Amino acid sequence: MVSKESCRNEIRAAIEQLSERCLHSAAKWAGEQLVGIEQDPSNFTPSNTRFQRGSSSIRRRFGTNESISTPLPSVGFSQAATPLPVEDEVTDGDLYHLAKSYFNCREYRRASHVLRDQMSKKSVFLRCYALYLAGEKRKEEEMIELEGSLGKSDAINRELVSLERELSAMKRTGAIDSFGLYLYGVVLKEKGNETLARASLVESVNSYPWNWNAWSELQSLCTSIEILNSLNLSNHWMKEFFLASAYQELRMHTESLAKYEYLQGIFSFSNYIQAQTAKAQYSLREFDQVEIMFEDLLRNDPYRVEDMDLYSNVLYAKEACAALSYLAHKVFLTDKYRPESCCIIGNYYSLKGQHEKAVMYFRRALKLNKKYLSAWTLMGHEYVEMKNTTAAIDAYRRAVDINPCDYRAWYGLGQAYEMMGMPFYALHYFRKSIFFLPNDSRLWIAMAKCYQTEQIYMLEEAIKCYKRAVNCTDTEGIALNQLAKLYQKLGREEEAAVYFEKDLERMDSEGLEGPNMLEALVFLATHFKTHKKFEEAEVYCTRILDYSGPEKEKAKSLLRGIRMEKTGFPSMDMEHFPL
Amino acid sequence: MAGLTRTAGAFTVTPHKISVCILLQLYAPSAQMSLPFPFSSVSQHNRLGLYLLSLTKSCDDIFEPKLEDLLNQLREVGEDMDAWLTDHLTNRFSSLTSPDDLLNFFNDMRGILGSVDSGAAQDDQIILDPSSNLGMFVRRCILAFNLLSFEGVCHLFTSIEVYCREAHSSSAQYDASNDNLESLIQHDQMDMEKYIMDKATEEIELQKNASGSVPFHLHTPEALFKVTEGLLVTRKEKSRTNMKKTEATPLACASSSTADDTLVDESLFLRTNYQIQGCLMEQADAIETHGSSLSSSSIESFLQKLQNLAPELHRVHFLRYLNKLHSDDYFAALDNLLRYFDYSAGTEGFDLVPPSAGCSMYGRYEIALLCLGMMHFRFGHPNLALEVLTEAVRVSQQLSNDTCLAYTLAAMSNLLSEMGIASTTSVLGSSYSPGTSTASSLSVQQRVYILLKESLRRADSLKLRRLVASNHLAMAKFELMHVQRPLLSFGPKASMRHKTCPVSVCKEIRLGAHLISDFSAESSTMTIDGSLSSAWLKDLQKPWGQPVFSQESGSRKSSTFFQFCDHLVSIPGSVSQIIGASYLLRATSWELYGSAPMARMNTLVYATLFGDSSSSSDAELAYLKLIQHLALYKGYKDAFAALKIAEEKFLTVSKSKVLLLKLQLLHEHALHRGNLKLAQRMCNELGGLASTTMGVDMELKVEASLREARTLLAAKQYSQAANVAHSLFCTCHKFNLQIEKASVLLLLAEIHKKSGNAVLGLPYALASISFCQSFNLDLLKASATLTLAELWLGLGSNHAKRALDLLHGAFPMILGHGGLELRARAYIFEANCYLSDPSFSVSTDSDTVLDSLRQASDELQALEYHELAAEALYLMAMVYDKLGRLEEREEAAALFKKHITALENPQHEEPNMA
Repeated sequence: MVSKESCRNEIRAAIEQLSERCLHSAAKWAGEQLVGIEQDPSNFTPSNTRFQRGSSSIRRRFGTNESISTPLPSVGFSQAATPLPVEDEVTDGDLYHLAKSYFNCREYRRASHVLRDQMSKKSVFLRCYALYLAGEKRKEEEMIELEGSLGKSDAINRELVSLERELSAMKRTGAIDSFGLYLYGVVLKEKGNETLARASLVESVNSYPWNWNAWSELQSLCTSIEILNSLNLSNHWMKEFFLASAYQELRMHTESLAKYEYLQGIFSFSNYIQAQTAKAQYSLREFDQVEIMFEDLLRNDPYRVEDMDLYSNVLYAKEACAALSYLAHKVFLTDKYRPESCCIIGNYYSLKGQHEKAVMYFRRALKLNKKYLSAWTLMGHEYVEMKNTTAAIDAYRRAVDINPCDYRAWYGLGQAYEMMGMPFYALHYFRKSIFFLPNDSRLWIAMAKCYQTEQIYMLEEAIKCYKRAVNCTDTEGIALNQLAKLYQKLGREEEAAVYFEKDLERMDSEGLEGPNMLEALVFLATHFKTHKKFEEAEVYCTRILDYSGPEKEKAKSLLRGIRMEKTGFPSMDMEHFPL
Repeated sequence: MAGLTRTAGAFTVTPHKISVCILLQLYAPSAQMSLPFPFSSVSQHNRLGLYLLSLTKSCDDIFEPKLEDLLNQLREVGEDMDAWLTDHLTNRFSSLTSPDDLLNFFNDMRGILGSVDSGAAQDDQIILDPSSNLGMFVRRCILAFNLLSFEGVCHLFTSIEVYCREAHSSSAQYDASNDNLESLIQHDQMDMEKYIMDKATEEIELQKNASGSVPFHLHTPEALFKVTEGLLVTRKEKSRTNMKKTEATPLACASSSTADDTLVDESLFLRTNYQIQGCLMEQADAIETHGSSLSSSSIESFLQKLQNLAPELHRVHFLRYLNKLHSDDYFAALDNLLRYFDYSAGTEGFDLVPPSAGCSMYGRYEIALLCLGMMHFRFGHPNLALEVLTEAVRVSQQLSNDTCLAYTLAAMSNLLSEMGIASTTSVLGSSYSPGTSTASSLSVQQRVYILLKESLRRADSLKLRRLVASNHLAMAKFELMHVQRPLLSFGPKASMRHKTCPVSVCKEIRLGAHLISDFSAESSTMTIDGSLSSAWLKDLQKPWGQPVFSQESGSRKSSTFFQFCDHLVSIPGSVSQIIGASYLLRATSWELYGSAPMARMNTLVYATLFGDSSSSSDAELAYLKLIQHLALYKGYKDAFAALKIAEEKFLTVSKSKVLLLKLQLLHEHALHRGNLKLAQRMCNELGGLASTTMGVDMELKVEASLREARTLLAAKQYSQAANVAHSLFCTCHKFNLQIEKASVLLLLAEIHKKSGNAVLGLPYALASISFCQSFNLDLLKASATLTLAELWLGLGSNHAKRALDLLHGAFPMILGHGGLELRARAYIFEANCYLSDPSFSVSTDSDTVLDSLRQASDELQALEYHELAAEALYLMAMVYDKLGRLEEREEAAALFKKHITALENPQHEEPNMA
């Protein structure tokens, strides 16, 4: 078990080193984790207490408090493997300071020029990094300038070639430090050489684990669990963060949650962990819990925009218009040109039924980030609402091409094709979506409905799908009812009775009533009567009597028939068994 | 092609266009001179003009040549002033040092254009007419430049730097071997289809020596020579030439791209949508023509490149689908097909869709269904395909897309007739039933007929010529194979005409072939702009000489000549493919009707004229037919030699039938030589082929068991052979394979004949004859008649006269069209008849018998059919013995012995065929 104190010291040093190299986002991340560690009682400051009190409220509510006190499993982090690196150059030189300030003012090319003759590792890194960013900046500009009629954008970062050459030469001679390795990995990744990029990044994080940028680059290169498992990573508490986030990306939500819970033992107040936990919970469809977590998060960090699109999804699912509009307003004031903000506003309009406006905001989000997955999918949903299936299909397809594991988009594609009366074509897409999320009853039900359409009418297949849906704990209870009806239609009374009984049981336990209830009761009553199980039939008949309508009369006549048969003098039996 | 609409931004200034502008400036300087400075003669000047014309024509193509290619071409055009031209070009480029120079350059360009009222121009001044081809080009360049923003100018400036730098880096290499003409080879353009031109080159060489004085001809042979040589070079020294190959033909580009890294990308300039579509069409054609012999990965890398350049060009996905389809990658094909339709909604690039009738709101997803259905069909999932096509029918009816409906119905009928799904009524229950409500009670054949009729009717009314033509062909096929019955027949009185109608087959084939006249009358509205503009570029590859050349030398290879015609008359590849198919069908129908020469001729016509434009599987079929013909009429030796060639050519084709034919031939051969073990093995292998995973091929199955029965027959296991034949007959009946039924019946008759049960054999032979009559299978009928006659003779020698009469009735057919075996059998039988006829005396009429026998034994020698040969020789020896010609008797007897020993030890001289 790592002591909190040692963690804290490591991070403090790391922040220093990271910001010294202008790796600002990594420094930011590290900073967030630093304040996430439970403070010593010794250096209490009023602001800290306020910060922590808010956070712990949720813990009390959900009783996860114990996890802090329980001793963590000793999957020991070997501290010795990664000693804190000592800064190699104490005197930075004036040029370095100048370059750094240029860099901070986003004058990247200037910064790299200043450092052109500096030979220290730190200077070399900053020079290369600045050059890389300059190239990226130019690339972004060119992308807009060169946009052709067919979406042509062959803009590339023109610095990549020279950077790769220089960094690989440095790597050969061993003159590269872990930050250089990180940059080398990034460059290789951009050039499409994923295996080498992974190797370089692994080397980087093994020698300097506190650079979250390197971890997240590495994570984006782990597209399957096999790749993830094949990585040779040395143990460090940063690895746990990495694994948690990688598991989440690979849709292994429970594993990811376990990791985060474990990490919370040290970083009890980390906003990052809280947001990630919320994300995982969202995927497990625990909306109530997620909502509370996000409310809490916003209370602590009111100007946060990251991950808030997820919160808006939750609010959308719960149809909380007011809360959603409040959130939209808030992020709008904070930073309106963030894709997340646009997405939240789009969600709001969608909930309000103003689909054109919603599409406009999703478009804006996509303008800001072309690879913003959820915006494509959500836009697809909007187009479906607007009955513009062609546009919907296009949007969904883009989402799928960005991330082929996006089951929502596959599902959307299936839905769109089904809407157009092409159920057989749609089946392929439903199958795809189920492949990525096999235990979601909604997907199975959608597929079953497809099989049930009169054009295909493959009822046996539909039954199979419904059965799978039942196994996946179908919350809406569609599957049971449908199964019973299908069996009834196929004339397989026994099976139908079984499923009607199950459905009835479910409705009873949830206290639901409605036409389905009545239907089940009538079927069961007649079924048991014809099979001469009068006790059961009577029970169901008396339940029907609670309702009014034609069924009541039917139940009465059924009851009469039952009594007749029970008394043993039915006219029919007389004939069959003459005394 | 200029008439087609094009968006304003489509024409962009590129470094290559600037090169052309520089040359234009040279061609027509604004100064007043009758002949501008560097030119020494008018013809020289004109040649540059012609060259520039072809450059401007081809500049709409998707890929532009690099500077070094241009320089190389210039060296050829310029002759003695080549150095001056190239130097001027490179100097002009190096003088462009800042964006401002570009601005000035285009200002100067204005000067070379004449004013609109060209009457004011003086006679001796060379000016460009603004509305001429060259003038238009200059004007378009100037306009495009003026539309550029400053960023655009900067980008142009950087791309010029790249353009020059590339040329510079390779020119050093060039200088080293400047005097060596061979080095030019590496730089020259190439075309995959020119692989076959080796012979032509030799002729060209001769021609060059003969008529070297004509200036044009000086270039042509060299250029052509280089084309062919260049191909050889690229094949052998690929690594060396890779970096320097031009991007002119997409294929060449694709083949070079494997080793090149992304640097090449920057030299590819994207053209207008139309040209890319055209280029993609060409690729699609190439994929189909070359089948899987074309490396799928090279196409893939080309497509990848294209996709990087134009992410919104969804047609790429379709091409990728085609590519994957031909390399039998089911999942990738499916994925790309769906992706294409998801993006494009079926509206991009499908010329079968009339653009005006587009209902943009819903897209054209019915086409997706159609394609998906055809894909499932190809991958051997007929039931799945049928489901999808049924949905396609429904959706296209719903959206009233009659065009797609017509195509879908045609695809469906094709599917049904190919797969012959007879027992899967559960699937058919839900299928389309036009006209009749009793669809489910119809047989598959009737359903196919209805579907075809419906499709034809729609296609006719929508004027879909290609579909009409292919439907006619399908109809011909149907008429060939099936007896027409009334769809609904009531009672015993309904007219039952049990006969196929060769006239209607012929009529349908002719109607199918009308397509070509339709196209020549219709001019070139069907061709895609891009394919034409790349045709121009191909012209450039074979610089200007070719038209002249092909007129002068009549002895060119017909294939290249046809290609040339192809783009002059602009017959699209798909049209020539359909017409080729009609010839193939003709050949098949003659084969069935029993005219060997006609079948052979039609196949030859196909192989020579349409071999290049056809898909590889069709070409394969033609080759196989010819080989089969060889085996039947020339013996096995030639056939195996030809097979070897075909194997090399077609083994890469997916679902190749070469192996099948090889097994068939080996089986025949083994049977004839009496090597029953080998025959049995071949039989088993055939059976293995029949049960592949690629869907059940009924014909193959029937073939396999037919051969099994024949093997058993040859092994004298009569009852087993009869059993197999019986069950085969049942299968044929179940799946409605009428023609096969006739041959199975004949086989049964043979079995009974061999087992000495002539009485039992007679009804089978008669039934076979009646089947042959109703399907007009004349040759098969003749051989059935022969068997019948043999059966009669088997009943006793008193029937010899009748048998002989029967034989003589069938003789013209047998001798005219029969294969070696059939003819020999007939001869021997004739001799047998005479000999067993008590009224025939050998001593007086010996020549009648001996002639036949000699003929028979000669033909059987070629066939290596030991058993029959031995029989013939035996008879011969007997006759000689009777005649007392002892020497000849001994000779025949020796030969007889040789055949008998060969028959008894078949393994002895077994050539290593398998």
